Amino acid sequence: MTFGGTAPNQPTRTHTCPWCGLASDGTQLNCPACGATIDVEQVVSNSGWTELPGRRDMAKLQFGNSHCQIEGTYVPVADFNLSPADGVYFSHHVLLWKEPQVNIAAMSLKGAWKRLFAGLPLIMTQAVGPGHIAFSMDAAGEVIALPLQPGQGVDVREHIFMVATLNITYDWFSTNVWFTTRSGDETETHYPLGAFMDRFYAPQSPGLLLLHAAGNVFTRHLAQGQTILVKPTALLFKDPSVQMQLHFEHPNGTTRSWRSWGERYLWLRLFGPGRVAVQSAYAHMHDNGRNITRHSTATRQQW
Amino acid sequence: MKHCPTCNRTFDDTKAFCGLDGTRLIQDAPTPSVEQQYNPPAAHAAPVAPIMPAAPPATPATPRVEQPRAAQVSAADPLERLRCEWCQAMNEKTALSCRACGAPLDIKNLVSESGWREAPRIKDMTEIHFGASTCQVEGEIVPVAELNLAQGDSVFFEHHVMLWKDDRTPMGVMPLQGGIKRALAGMPFIISLAYGPGRIAFSRDATGELVVMPLHPGMELDVREHAFLLASHHISYSYVRIKGLRNILFGGQGMFMDRFVTGAQPGLLLLHGYGDVFERVLQPGESIMIEPGAFLYKDASVTMNVETQKLTTGFFGGTGMNLARMTGPGRVGIQSMYVHHHTD
Repeated sequence: MTFGGTAPNQPTRTHTCPWCGLASDGTQLNCPACGATIDVEQVVSNSGWTELPGRRDMAKLQFGNSHCQIEGTYVPVADFNLSPADGVYFSHHVLLWKEPQVNIAAMSLKGAWKRLFAGLPLIMTQAVGPGHIAFSMDAAGEVIALPLQPGQGVDVREHIFMVATLNITYDWFSTNVWFTTRSGDETETHYPLGAFMDRFYAPQSPGLLLLHAAGNVFTRHLAQGQTILVKPTALLFKDPSVQMQLHFEHPNGTTRSWRSWGERYLWLRLFGPGRVAVQSAYAHMHDNGRNITRHSTATRQQW
Repeated sequence: MKHCPTCNRTFDDTKAFCGLDGTRLIQDAPTPSVEQQYNPPAAHAAPVAPIMPAAPPATPATPRVEQPRAAQVSAADPLERLRCEWCQAMNEKTALSCRACGAPLDIKNLVSESGWREAPRIKDMTEIHFGASTCQVEGEIVPVAELNLAQGDSVFFEHHVMLWKDDRTPMGVMPLQGGIKRALAGMPFIISLAYGPGRIAFSRDATGELVVMPLHPGMELDVREHAFLLASHHISYSYVRIKGLRNILFGGQGMFMDRFVTGAQPGLLLLHGYGDVFERVLQPGESIMIEPGAFLYKDASVTMNVETQKLTTGFFGGTGMNLARMTGPGRVGIQSMYVHHHTD
């Protein structure tokens, strides 16, 4: 029998978060980096999709000298308690409330014209501690916490981003996923995924990125060369290593005339390796059914 | 006693419909009894105040046994009651949910580190009592408030929130002043009334929470327009014009707010908040900046002023961010799935 503490050779209890990979001592109820409950096993479907790990109401996420508390369950609120040295940036329409002493200012972005025409927010807003500031979005769903380690990046579909810490860099790139339809002399260009995607990257120090998804969130790892078709508006984020292109599918038995391709499905084909995530409540894509005249790299299946 | 003409089950006088098949109950022929000789029928007596502790059921027909004095004191001991942390009503110590607001009594209050308290998540099928009527909260994603109105009770509501009703539940319209102003401001032109006896149910059109607010006598509560689901007839309804052009233009709620006032009697007010609902109590002079679209309700003592912060970025001139400064003392309620209002 031992008294007065543990034996020096006794192994320390550790827990590795299956969502963010952080190793902790496992004595807390939630992962300190992403808030995932640590006493609940991951839920994986038969087809290999993993549900976003559960998070207790009021779970706390630690970053730098600050922390963030996730409150509520239908439309969760991310309530940041910023220390003086820490700050966050966000798209300004996600701000829910703030204490009067928290200063906010604009963070200018490159390519303002392009962003303006693409419907992306023209400016990002940044807030610096000390003080509390909280964010939420406008759909029932889940808050996704993505702690990014140095050298790690993630590509996020537009209008999904909620807030990120200032040590994460923000950039954006063309999705190159498009097609055009023609009616008479009128040509219309469609971007099923949006014209641009956001890219977040942690260059030197770890940071925290929060996204908001509508409905439930599911992720999966695609192996090298593995592919999957997803609804373009359901895509939430992907590793930068995951490639994407269009896929057109025509079910058997539908009419196809010179004016139209008949009934068709528009998919986004994702190629591994890397992680992809989808949301269950996606926006409806309106297809005008007109003949597709040009398109980005795509595959086609006629059943 | 009453009985159901369909299944012949018997019910007490406070019920209007059969709990099994929903048929309207029929009053049994009166039979003289000791109870009726000494106690007038209580079915249509004065409404039971929802915030008061429930009286133990009277059983005068059984022989009365004198309790020892100590036991009587113990039964009336306020420590034997559970106080609801949301509405402060006293409940029997065995109760699982508050009789007046439906808040679970066996679940701890959830308060964030910054001081926001989550509105209690009402358990499915919880019953709330007001006057001589009951309200059952059904569902959790878009909850339904189903009312069993007793004779003499009534509620008022915006007519588009009505989900269903018995065909024999009487309806009416509340006379309102300033109808043209209301119509121009986008507020409901008429407020409907439903009278007991009868059943009627209400819900709104998006994921959210039912916020049950029993109003104590002498209270004044301002509510964002189109956020109120129903209110009991004990509450008087008016509207207040939002002062200041900036507040009207950028406050995110138009020109008016609903105001609910209780007189000498308590009343029940039900709101629907989109997403999650949080409440915070501001001390005198304490301020918080909130997105105007997130505002749900406030005590009349809380002032609201919209302030614009310019966010400039070089050539494009930037944009402005409008935030409402709420200053205490009093409660402020917000909803997390707010209506975003475009800035300039």
